[in-house]
Amino acid sequence: MESTLWIETLCIGIGTYLMRSVSLTLGSRLRWPEGVRRWLSFVTPAVLGALIGQAVLLQGNQLVPPLHNPALWATLPTVAIAWWSRHLLATVAVGVACFAIASAIAPAA
Amino acid sequence: MSPLSNVLAADPALPPTGSRRRALADGLRDALPIMMAYVPIAMTFGVLCVSHGLPWLLTVFISVWVYAGGAQFMLVGLAMSGASMLSTVITVLLVNLRHVLYGTALGPSFAAWREPAKWLFAFGMTDEVFAVSSGRGFAEPPVPWRQIPFALACYASWVGGTVVGGWIGQVVPSSVAEVLGFALPALFIALLALGPRSLPHLAAAMLGAAVAICAHLLQLGNLAVIVGALAGAAGGWGWETWRDRHRGGDEASSSPHDTHP
Repeated sequence: MESTLWIETLCIGIGTYLMRSVSLTLGSRLRWPEGVRRWLSFVTPAVLGALIGQAVLLQGNQLVPPLHNPALWATLPTVAIAWWSRHLLATVAVGVACFAIASAIAPAA
Repeated sequence: MSPLSNVLAADPALPPTGSRRRALADGLRDALPIMMAYVPIAMTFGVLCVSHGLPWLLTVFISVWVYAGGAQFMLVGLAMSGASMLSTVITVLLVNLRHVLYGTALGPSFAAWREPAKWLFAFGMTDEVFAVSSGRGFAEPPVPWRQIPFALACYASWVGGTVVGGWIGQVVPSSVAEVLGFALPALFIALLALGPRSLPHLAAAMLGAAVAICAHLLQLGNLAVIVGALAGAAGGWGWETWRDRHRGGDEASSSPHDTHP
């Protein structure tokens, strides 16, 4: 598995860098129409929503039952802190602490 | 002159030394909250890898070479579950496809930069760096002396965290490593709250989550994030466009990055 992982890492690193650099350099030359730029402002919240949703509600390809989902319970206070504090580290710290407590109270099945 | 200061000096409107130092300090101040979040998350990554039997050197190399939090966790997870090389690479790159949208979105505000500076900054363009850059990038154009130290400091904290996590990975119990795993969704939640807060933007996030989950239940696997993101962005954009049309011309001047409390 190890040698495979080295090769996978090399390929993914190169691919990711090309996506970041080529899009930035092309994006700085082309003027995108106002509608496209507007649409792009919605991409980040949508990607974040998709990543949060699957991290919190899914295990594999299955929905986790709410009573055995500490991540779901930890998400509620984490969202509140994120909304009012607008602070990355405070949110992460409170989130992990709440997840530890929720895991103790309502452990995963 | 070091190669780095050469690239930084490529700023077309080269600022005088004093404002250069101020830009550098601003860049490091921008980086601080991200670094404070990156160190524990990168440590988590290091702990997870090493406690699951990966060599320390490979663990650190992944952070040095890939530098994309979600993708790294996913890469190691897939490799450990024994997925084939081709499907692992394609899956992780699909999830990273959103960086194309970041570059495209940030690109126009980097039009005045010289090429080498763009290519250097691009390496450090993670989700968090993008979120912070786009938060102010459209209001004031990015300056290399602020933007590149900002990106490099975030990168250094990510690699440093991985190095330390790899060291302590041998002694950390797996239950602690598991609890630390929530750092990643918590970071995504924090980034969401830092971004634009209009109703259509929040709707885009909710729709993105709902569609991604449905796509997962339909066995679309790692395409699910991409599908959810595109659907959510289209939905939010559609709502805002519809709302502005109904409110008439007075809203037309509002930028997409306005925040509505």
